[in-house]
Amino acid sequence: MKIKRILLASLSLLSFCGVVSAADAGKDLYTKTCGVCHAAGIAGAPRYGNAADWQPRIAAGTARLYASALKGTPKGMPQKGGNLAASDADVKAAVDYMLASVKTAAAPAKPAATATPVAAAAAAAPAAPPAASVAAPVTNPSANTSGVSAADINSFNRLLKPIGKRNPPPAEDGIHDPTNDGTLALMAPLAAYGPLPKSLAGNRINWVKAIEENKINPRWDRNDPAATPVVIDLNIVREVKGSMPDVVYPHKQHTEWLDCSNCHPAIFTPQKGANAISMAAILLGEKCGVCHGKVAFPVSECRLCHSKKKEVRPAQAAAAAAK
Amino acid sequence: MFRKCLWQRVLLVLLAVAATLAMDIDDARAEYGDIVINNYSDAAGMRPAIFPHWFHRVRFRCKVCHADLGFKFKAGGNEINMVKIIDGQYCGACHNGELAWSVENCNLCHSAKPGTQTQVHESTVQKLAPATLQKK
Ligand code: HEC
Ligand code: HEC
Ligand code: HEC
Ligand code: HEC
Ligand code: HEC
Ligand code: HEC
Ligand code: HEC
Repeated sequence: MKIKRILLASLSLLSFCGVVSAADAGKDLYTKTCGVCHAAGIAGAPRYGNAADWQPRIAAGTARLYASALKGTPKGMPQKGGNLAASDADVKAAVDYMLASVKTAAAPAKPAATATPVAAAAAAAPAAPPAASVAAPVTNPSANTSGVSAADINSFNRLLKPIGKRNPPPAEDGIHDPTNDGTLALMAPLAAYGPLPKSLAGNRINWVKAIEENKINPRWDRNDPAATPVVIDLNIVREVKGSMPDVVYPHKQHTEWLDCSNCHPAIFTPQKGANAISMAAILLGEKCGVCHGKVAFPVSECRLCHSKKKEVRPAQAAAAAAK
Repeated sequence: MFRKCLWQRVLLVLLAVAATLAMDIDDARAEYGDIVINNYSDAAGMRPAIFPHWFHRVRFRCKVCHADLGFKFKAGGNEINMVKIIDGQYCGACHNGELAWSVENCNLCHSAKPGTQTQVHESTVQKLAPATLQKK
């Protein structure tokens, strides 16, 4: 709860930040939205850093480019790149960010011209030491044709997914084809998630609470909205060796969603202790991992399963006393 | 101004690290639980189909599909094709023009980038195992 509030507070700080620095906002939006098409030139989109792609368009004037970005074009540029939540100012900043990339490419000999994008990139990189803003013109992002600047390569998180990349709309999620008209008609997850209780992993929705609090009432029978599930309240405690808390398997939350036949007997023999379950099996997608880590909350949420504190066992108590 | 911004960003990133344990080694960014089904689509010149779990579970409990309609818990494991769908099996049990929009909306289901393999997106297995080790 507290974490969530701090997170929200810092998120609002972040957006405040975006207002302060337009270059930042432009790069952010490019990374989040425009790059999906403009990095590789999908559907004929002019490529970031490719002067030849942009030259004829620049000739028509920046005002037209802004207008195309804001309203879209019949040849495949979606309105605001499909991200209708983006502000007009940010979209224009993203256009500027792309234009800056080709200005430097067109005149690589002039170090002065490189200053703009590098400073923008450095400002946007969370971990760049403050000194980077002074030393900015040393690196030249246009040397890298893929449009990734030096600051991106050494970004703070290499493996952790940045917040901006979670729950992306279909056209930006990497599996939907953004050139398919159907893709643009699909609902964006965040549009649906607004009123639902949040969690820290998976869809980032607490689906158990969503039902408990009547935020959603998914049908139990596909035709009969009044049918209700057969919920049983039966907890099974599984002792775990070592320091991890014991696992409590709750039938209640599961039978809200599932039929007994979904688990018994295909996945679990219905008898306490009759099934060998290990974390290794779960990680490989067996036992609890048939659903957890695919559709139900993922394995990272240890404490949702390992929820029963152990009484200190005699051997451990003795070891602790001996210290 | 710049320094203040930087500090806020570092704080934000640290919080994000503290707030999540999940690491995303794979570049995939799809919504958790999105399933690509591509047993036949590529070969037939259609974009592969994408089934969004998040969207359907807001409307139906798992039991409806995985018990009543007989969807096995395995991406690509149900050998769905268009004849079965228009005969009212699998997706066709609902996408029949009565409960949900009907099959003529090809591009709403067939919406994946051509060549995307059958898989459960964002799954633990997808992140832990190299793509070559994954079951097709
Ligand atoms: C789904 C793919 C896609 C996304 C996402 C996208 N664009 Fe485009 N963009 C295109 C295509 C395709 C064209 C070429 C269309 C044309 O020639 O009219 C284009 C052209 C443009 C142009 C040149 C328009 C002109 O009149 O010559 C600008 C400026 C532009 N995009 C800005 C943006 C910005 C800013 C974003 C992010 C907010 C963005 N685009 C996101 C596909 C995309
Ligand atoms: C139990 C019923 C049911 C089954 C089975 C089902 N769907 Fe759906 N689906 C729905 C309903 C209801 C909607 C919402 C329709 C509407 O918006 O009018 C929907 C919507 C969708 C959407 C659009 C989501 C959006 O963003 O608006 C897609 C894509 C989809 N289904 C794909 C599939 C595929 C692929 C299958 C089979 C693998 C399938 N569905 C099976 C009931 C079902
Ligand atoms: C999500 C999977 C799942 C679902 C759905 C499920 N169970 Fe279970 N059930 C389990 C697990 C796991 C165990 C514990 C097995 C073990 O300890 O080895 C269990 C154990 C049992 C036991 C044995 C209890 C004991 O004390 O020996 C019974 C009886 C049982 N389930 C009945 C049901 C019934 C009835 C339903 C439907 C209303 C149901 N289960 C639905 C997973 C499930
Ligand atoms: C057939 C699918 C399936 C299997 C197998 C399964 N679960 Fe679940 N589990 C779910 C679903 C669906 C939920 C609802 C929450 C969600 O989707 O994130 C859930 C919720 C839970 C919750 C409730 C968390 C809360 O917030 O109250 C716990 C605890 C849990 N599972 C533990 C287990 C354990 C332990 C096992 C193995 C013994 C297991 N599950 C096997 C599907 C499954
Ligand atoms: C979906 C529920 C679930 C989640 C999430 C989960 N575990 Fe487990 N864990 C289990 C079950 C069930 C067992 C087996 C208990 C038994 O022996 O009966 C287990 C066993 C273990 C064991 C004992 C050794 C073994 O492999 O059996 C360790 C250690 C462990 N878990 C650590 C973790 C850690 C660390 C996390 C978080 C990254 C985690 N678990 C998340 C369900 C879960
Ligand atoms: C409700 C979702 C849905 C709709 C709508 C839909 N399909 Fe499919 N279609 C599927 C699924 C799921 C598969 C199985 C994909 C696979 O395994 O490659 C499939 C498979 C196919 C295949 C390959 C297998 C076969 O039956 O030959 C073709 C071709 C195909 N669809 C064409 C179409 C066309 C054309 C339309 C529009 C008239 C359409 N589909 C509408 C879900 C849908
Ligand atoms: C509207 C129908 C529908 C609903 C509701 C639904 N699913 Fe699915 N599920 C599917 C389809 C379709 C597939 C893919 C089957 C295929 O590719 O043949 C699937 C696949 C799966 C898989 C297999 C993933 C793998 O390992 O390959 C799991 C696990 C799963 N679903 C769990 C759930 C859980 C848990 C719920 C409830 C929270 C749920 N599903 C609700 C339709 C549904």
